[in-house]
Amino acid sequence: MKLHLITNELRLAWLEMRQYWFETVSAMIFILVMFIALFYGIKGFVLEDDGAQSLDGLVFGFLLWTFASGAYGSITKSVVEDTQRGYIEHLFLCPEGVVRLLLCRALADVLFSLAILTVVTYLVMWLTNTWLGINLLQFYAVLLLAAPSLVGLGLIIAGFALVFKKVETIGAFLSIGLMGLVALDGLPLNPLTFLPFVPGASLARDWVLNGQPLDYLSLLIVALNSAVYLAIGMKVFAVGEKAAKQRNLIGQY
Amino acid sequence: MLELQGVSKAYAGSPALQDVSFSIEPGEIVALLGANGSGKTTTVQSICRLIEWDSGDILFNQNPTRSSTDYFRHIGAVLGGCRNTNWRLTASANARYFAQVRGFKGSDVLANITRLQTQLGLDEHAQKEVMKLSTGNKQKAALLSALGYSPELVLLDEPTLGLDFTTVNELQTIIKSQASEQHQSFLITSHDLSFIENICTRVLVLDHGRLLFAGDIAELKAQMFSHELKLAPLTPAQMESIHSLWEGRFQIRADEQCLSIQFDTPAQCLPTMTYLHEQQIAPEHCTINALSVEQAYQHLVAEERA
Repeated sequence: MKLHLITNELRLAWLEMRQYWFETVSAMIFILVMFIALFYGIKGFVLEDDGAQSLDGLVFGFLLWTFASGAYGSITKSVVEDTQRGYIEHLFLCPEGVVRLLLCRALADVLFSLAILTVVTYLVMWLTNTWLGINLLQFYAVLLLAAPSLVGLGLIIAGFALVFKKVETIGAFLSIGLMGLVALDGLPLNPLTFLPFVPGASLARDWVLNGQPLDYLSLLIVALNSAVYLAIGMKVFAVGEKAAKQRNLIGQY
Repeated sequence: MLELQGVSKAYAGSPALQDVSFSIEPGEIVALLGANGSGKTTTVQSICRLIEWDSGDILFNQNPTRSSTDYFRHIGAVLGGCRNTNWRLTASANARYFAQVRGFKGSDVLANITRLQTQLGLDEHAQKEVMKLSTGNKQKAALLSALGYSPELVLLDEPTLGLDFTTVNELQTIIKSQASEQHQSFLITSHDLSFIENICTRVLVLDHGRLLFAGDIAELKAQMFSHELKLAPLTPAQMESIHSLWEGRFQIRADEQCLSIQFDTPAQCLPTMTYLHEQQIAPEHCTINALSVEQAYQHLVAEERA
């Protein structure tokens, strides 16, 4: 990734966010309202002794899902929206290649997501009076390590979008599927480990939320999971790009 | 600078480009003409590598473009329609964004964008997002993005689409000055042949993916008829008599009662005028018109097809 592309995408994200501040604020309010409804809905049923722990898990799971949705959706949204908004062809004229440009865009989006997540985290904890004793730096470090697997998923869907254009159904299915992925336990090594983001979410829960010591094997598993899904995503996108260029589909919507 | 060597492309067996070869030198303004479906946009998209062509090669500064995307730094493009800018940003924010995508930033680029924004008359709309601009100003915003980082070659696909007369004139001035002062080359596809005639030094004519003609405007005009005589109504016998009066290079078409003759010099139609006078034939419609480049070009394509 090139620094000039990352700063360019950060600037673009900032300009769009500032230009459409109402959209940004209302999206944040929507997330908060959705979560509070969920939180108090579940709280009513959680009366056992470990109820407080369940609520901590719920808040933490929600934060993980918010981040995962943003990281996964960044590239897919770019490809689909830019095709509709009309300048996707110009992204393909990037000398470093469109994939690198999209990766820089995803990184910029993830960094902005983390900033928003920080605000949402404190608002959620304050509104629900459920104060998690988590180290945000540790939390973000795990998220950044696990995020490439989600970006890989986004590239797979974006690769399909280049050829098939309408991929909303698969996209919506994966968005819901992410709720399951962040809740699964992928550590220590088990069949669920091979699902995208699952080991990352597990490591975040074990290390950041539950305060277990950092296991370097787990860290390696998370890194491998990210690398494999990112590689698959890049390959699928490259195949989609080639097919779209052969059939003159870039930009057609 | 840019060289196409026998480029061919087919979609599902149907040829879109057939063995197309041409080159563009620095500072040249070249027009790519052709009817809808003739292969103009496919050519531009091939140069931008937005499509994979089947055979042949495209070289930029003698380097094959198939193996490297580095040449994207040196080309700017305004593609067909309004598919060139982020509608949520202002024109200059777009220009800065796309310049940085190509790897250009800093005070020189900013100064160039500011100069071009003024030259394009976009200063008064500096604070507006592209979506709030008129069609003409959207096109100017696209041009600002394409020229902002001073690329060596600028590809303009139908740049006058939706522009009024004044804006077209301004566009001509800008393209001419960029070519002469900055030595930028332009490859322009357009249906607006008067626009092409005013600014282009060379013309390429495509038809059904084949390059029919490559040369300067004067050469193209020399291949085409410059005048047209139309007479109507006439009887078949009168039409036949008139046919025998013509000499030199000409082309006659007879549709029901209307006779249309295209020719090179005004003197060629004098025997027909004399004949009409002598025979006291007074057709309701008798017009002699200088053919526009557009009409002449259409006849050239029709002739080639025949």
